[in-house]
Amino acid sequence: MDLNVLLPRLLALAWLLPLCSFALIVFFGPRMGRAGRYAAHVATTAIIAACVLSFASLGLWLTQHPVGAAHGAHAAAVPPHINGDWYSLGEFGSLRVTIGYYIDALTLCMFCMVTLVASCIHVYSAGYMHGELHDVFDTFGPTEEGRMIRRRGRYYRFFQCLSLFCFSMLGLVLAGNVAMVFVFWELVGICSYLLIGFWHERKSASNAANKAFIVNRVGDFGMIVGLMAVWTGMGTFSFGDYKVTKADGTVAMAPGIFSQVRPAANEHKLQIPDGMVKSAVGSQASNVLVGKSDAKAVAVAAQDIRDLSAPQKLKDWRSQGLGYGLLVIAGLGIFCGCVGKSAQVPLHVWLPDAMEGPTPVSALIHAATMVAAGVYLVGRFYPVFTPEVLMVIACIGCATLFIAATVALTATDIKRVLAYSTVSQLGFMMLALGLGGWLAGMLHLFTHAFFKSLLFLCSGSVIHACGTNEMPSMGGLRRKMPITAMTMLIGCLAIAGAGIPATVIGFSGFYSKDSIIAQDLSFWAANPRLGGWFFYAALFGAGLTAFYMFRLWYMTFAGNPRDGHVYYHAHESPSSMTVPLMILAVLAAVGAWNIPFTGGLGLQSLLQQAQPAGIADGVSGGLYWSSIAMPAQHLAHEHANAIKAEWAAFGVALVGFLLATVFYGLRKLDPADVTRAFPRLYRFLFRKWMFDELYSYCLVRPMLKISDWVAAVDRRGIDWLVDGSARAIEGIARVDDWFDRIFIDRAVNVAARWTYALGMRLRTIETGNVRQYVLWLVVATVGLFVLMSFFWSYAIAG
Amino acid sequence: MFNFSDPTVLLTWLLSAIIFLPAVGALILCLAPRESDASTKRFSLFITLAVFALTVWLAIPGGRVGNFNFSQPGMQSIVNHTWIPAFGINYMLGIDGISLPLVLLTSFLSVLAMWASWPITKSVRAYCALFLLLETGMLGVFLALDFFLFYVFWEVMLLPMYFLIGIWGGPRREYAAIKFFLFTLVGSVLLLVAMLMLYFASDVSKLSQAQQVASNLIGHGTKHTFNLLALMQLGQMPDSPFHQTLLWGQSLSWWAFVLLLIGFIIKLPSVPVHTWLPDAHVEAPTPISMILAGVLLKMGGYGVLRVCYPVCPDAGYHLAWLVSGLGTVSMVYGALAAMAQKDFKRLVAYSSVSHMGYVLLGIGAWSATAGTSYDPNYWNMAMNGAMFQMIAHGISSAGMFFLVGVVYERVHHRDLDKFGGLFARMPVYAGISMVIFFAALGLPGLCGFIGEFFVVVGTWAYCKWLAVVAASVVVLTAGYILWTIQRVYLGPEYKGPHADALTPMTRREIAIAAPLVAFALLLGVYPQALFKYTEPTIGKTVVQKLTDWAQASPKATGHDVTEGRSQ
Repeated sequence: MDLNVLLPRLLALAWLLPLCSFALIVFFGPRMGRAGRYAAHVATTAIIAACVLSFASLGLWLTQHPVGAAHGAHAAAVPPHINGDWYSLGEFGSLRVTIGYYIDALTLCMFCMVTLVASCIHVYSAGYMHGELHDVFDTFGPTEEGRMIRRRGRYYRFFQCLSLFCFSMLGLVLAGNVAMVFVFWELVGICSYLLIGFWHERKSASNAANKAFIVNRVGDFGMIVGLMAVWTGMGTFSFGDYKVTKADGTVAMAPGIFSQVRPAANEHKLQIPDGMVKSAVGSQASNVLVGKSDAKAVAVAAQDIRDLSAPQKLKDWRSQGLGYGLLVIAGLGIFCGCVGKSAQVPLHVWLPDAMEGPTPVSALIHAATMVAAGVYLVGRFYPVFTPEVLMVIACIGCATLFIAATVALTATDIKRVLAYSTVSQLGFMMLALGLGGWLAGMLHLFTHAFFKSLLFLCSGSVIHACGTNEMPSMGGLRRKMPITAMTMLIGCLAIAGAGIPATVIGFSGFYSKDSIIAQDLSFWAANPRLGGWFFYAALFGAGLTAFYMFRLWYMTFAGNPRDGHVYYHAHESPSSMTVPLMILAVLAAVGAWNIPFTGGLGLQSLLQQAQPAGIADGVSGGLYWSSIAMPAQHLAHEHANAIKAEWAAFGVALVGFLLATVFYGLRKLDPADVTRAFPRLYRFLFRKWMFDELYSYCLVRPMLKISDWVAAVDRRGIDWLVDGSARAIEGIARVDDWFDRIFIDRAVNVAARWTYALGMRLRTIETGNVRQYVLWLVVATVGLFVLMSFFWSYAIAG
Repeated sequence: MFNFSDPTVLLTWLLSAIIFLPAVGALILCLAPRESDASTKRFSLFITLAVFALTVWLAIPGGRVGNFNFSQPGMQSIVNHTWIPAFGINYMLGIDGISLPLVLLTSFLSVLAMWASWPITKSVRAYCALFLLLETGMLGVFLALDFFLFYVFWEVMLLPMYFLIGIWGGPRREYAAIKFFLFTLVGSVLLLVAMLMLYFASDVSKLSQAQQVASNLIGHGTKHTFNLLALMQLGQMPDSPFHQTLLWGQSLSWWAFVLLLIGFIIKLPSVPVHTWLPDAHVEAPTPISMILAGVLLKMGGYGVLRVCYPVCPDAGYHLAWLVSGLGTVSMVYGALAAMAQKDFKRLVAYSSVSHMGYVLLGIGAWSATAGTSYDPNYWNMAMNGAMFQMIAHGISSAGMFFLVGVVYERVHHRDLDKFGGLFARMPVYAGISMVIFFAALGLPGLCGFIGEFFVVVGTWAYCKWLAVVAASVVVLTAGYILWTIQRVYLGPEYKGPHADALTPMTRREIAIAAPLVAFALLLGVYPQALFKYTEPTIGKTVVQKLTDWAQASPKATGHDVTEGRSQ
């Protein structure tokens, strides 16, 4: 079968299998064995099958698009991809919102990574969550009176949510248009919400879940704005070119987002899409017309509007930069969503709290996949970003990696250290992408997924053994849990970027982190004025990474036990948990290596193949900030630059490692002395730069206050008016009633009385005297005739 | 009259049966000897089911009498008989892509609401009779094509509602009922005035022969008409008789639009005329809340879409900022007010205000001439989004009110601070609630998302700032919905009274909620199921016609490009 048909079907199957598993567990979960024991089997089978399908798809892909083919000569061409639509959500004239797919090497790599990591985590969870198989006596969720509660186990529900998450995440990766990305963006968000709040009896867990979702929604708000700009400016959400059926039945290709922003005719260089130009011209002209300033401007505007329907002046307008603002808004908006999802400053506050969820969830969602989705989207949407937007991305990434790394220094909760480390590493990725290092950033996404999920699972193994998250009560655990200790050490080495400089031997983090530092360095060379900041911040962050990771390892595994009770009960985890650790440890070590005897096949070359067209030579020529230039990526890999970066990275990592060893490994120095020396700084870092306090005082409370006001306006304002007017009308009715009774009724009564009195008087006439009656009769008759003579005189006469 | 081989006769009977079957049922209930309460309810449920079956017949595509014809974007299955010939009033009914989904929603929710009425014990016969009468009114409003008939049904629906709230409601029922009644009555009066204004300004002789045929005018020899299709044609003519200046320099069309708009947004409801809604909902019994939120609010949106815009396009064009602005204000205001509520039902009521704001925004976002490019697609998208939002809100809000009712029946309070832990006590209930609340939150994959997203995204072409404000509501919505879920369903234990009464959902309750969940999912995953009906009608008969109108009458729209000046 044709690959263009087969691959979408295979990936769709891999995508839908977890959904089937979800549906099965929703309906039959509680009946799957005791406490839903077999739900784990269903979910794990589904994800492993998806993993097999993903790797099979990748293999099939490579038969047609071998790596290296697009290298060099065709680097500027559009990377090979398959895209299309399955069905549409809505069609309005030429506008179509669809559910479709966009498959290239990046999609396939993401599929393989997500399903592989998820498979490991599913297997691991089956062991980790076994406590949920029977009734749970939850010591963390006391009632208000402090009474502990006993509840049913929720084993199957965990796997139900996990399956839903896998489906959503794969959908996000497979999405053929940015609206579909948004759909699954929200779905992974809700899965994250459900899993963070898995132990929802705990107030802290449900608070963290709410926080995660609402903070993400703030990012999504920005993303919707970006979507609107894309939609109205380009008339499509589709990444790739798509087929349209015209009115006369012929099928033609319409340009997707990538082709509109970087058309082949323009050698894939950034250009303002026609729709955005026209939209800007239209609104500018309308403003002139409404303003009616001077006759000449009005005439020009009117001519512009006439030209809109046949845009012969498109080139002129474009060279004036009309519509560039829309392009920037589109880029910034989409990035805003990524800030939320990838926990970048200032929306990073939800991720550390998200550690309330079970540890496998932290590993899968809040380390390897979902939080990396923001980075993935930046990578996917890369062709649309202008240099200004990339600069913003770099600054946000830089701030994030620095802030998070400093906070990680002081955290004592083992998972929180890892959480801040995740935030910091995501900052590294954003920084790399922002400075033009597409490959470096995307590579770090993958290597980070391997070593961070490994680190989280190791921490889960430790927590499982110790029953606590607090590192100060651990120590010496390497003797009790050798496998966990070894695998975690591999993870630490990988994240620290351990490797031998000037060779290609190193852990996976070595490749990605060094290429990020190299990109920073080459950016500095291209932009001497501000490049240094990024370089030193990244270097400092890399040093801190090594420090806090080894601090974590030493505090947990090295030295002597600090809490005898904890140590006594600690034990190595069952094989269902250690086997995934070992698999992930291997990946963390060799994930970025090329596979031997395949002619350079590996993660790096695969990603290289997926690199968007037109960005290899860097991104420059911003209209608002024209001096910024993102350097070409190959410059970073040039020997002089790369060697410098590698030695610098190696140096700072070594310093970090040695400091950690001195403080926590050998305990030659006491870290408490340092905290005593800088109490203010320590408190500031320990309270996480006060972001939570800031948001609580500046955003949440004012918002609740405003909502109280609004409710009060309804009650005391509008309803007061309504009730008041009702009362006023009631009052008028009372007055009316009173008027009736006092005046009208009285007048009627008086009239009645008078009539009665008159009647009584007239009664005296009726005497019974016949003579008197005859007299009245005669008088009346004569009187009548006299009266008639006045009116009918003519008639009688005539 | 009984010649059923004649399709027009059959159609008349079919549509009339849909409208009047409930009324006949109500009559039978009044006249029949006293039966047990259970059989009265069963009889009423049977009637609503029969009506639902008939409306489903209308929705089935096919060539049989009454079936829906997708290739006809305009009005179809028209029934037109003279009623009061002296005033040109007809008994005119018809179906198109705008009314059909609402008719289906009405009959569907009526079945569920009737079934949800099982716990009602107070004067059941009267309750059922009024309920059925209410259904007649609602269906009549959506099917009527004669303005007068529309108005009659509008009023018919008012009185049963008043009694249903005022007799079967909660402790402050009388206040709520009278508030509902007065608010709606004010709207009705404005509607009546606008209707008469349009009637006396209308002149059928201005319509060409083809136009008269198109609007299905049947001759009475009267000059004026209540025929809505004819009024639309008149309103969209370049030299429309409604353009005459009426008061303070504004045209008759402008005044009619404003009066109609106020009348309809009271029902919708939009800020600032929304305060009847929370009170009515809080006091109304559960099934009536379902109907109120699910169907009655839609009449406002339907009215704006069916009458305001097509009949008075130039006023609609000039006041687009007002309509979309009111919509946006309602969205923000309703969401903020919802966040401050302590009463579960009041919170859901305010969420309705917020969600119906999307409808107003989508209809009002007249982007078809933005930048003078006359691109109707974005407005079409927003309007279809608004239409979708009406149906989606019908499902999610009816579901939410039902779910509130389920716990209220058990513990007899709605204080949000005195819930918690329902997930452990009523797992199925909590699961269903999550789906329905997430649908209201606008989660993709469920019905709420499509309407909100399409409306907001379609608005950008009309006004960027409005779109940005509208988009920001997603944060507020997430806030109040998640906060509610946390307070009611999560947490270690239930904190209120009558904890023992928190029994799992009964089969009947699950059976009522399940279809709502199913539709929330279906519409969320495959919205084309609805757009297939609405898009041709809205696109071709509303948006395209109004865009053509705007293009043909540049003076009216202020985009007189040919002279190079804005009027």
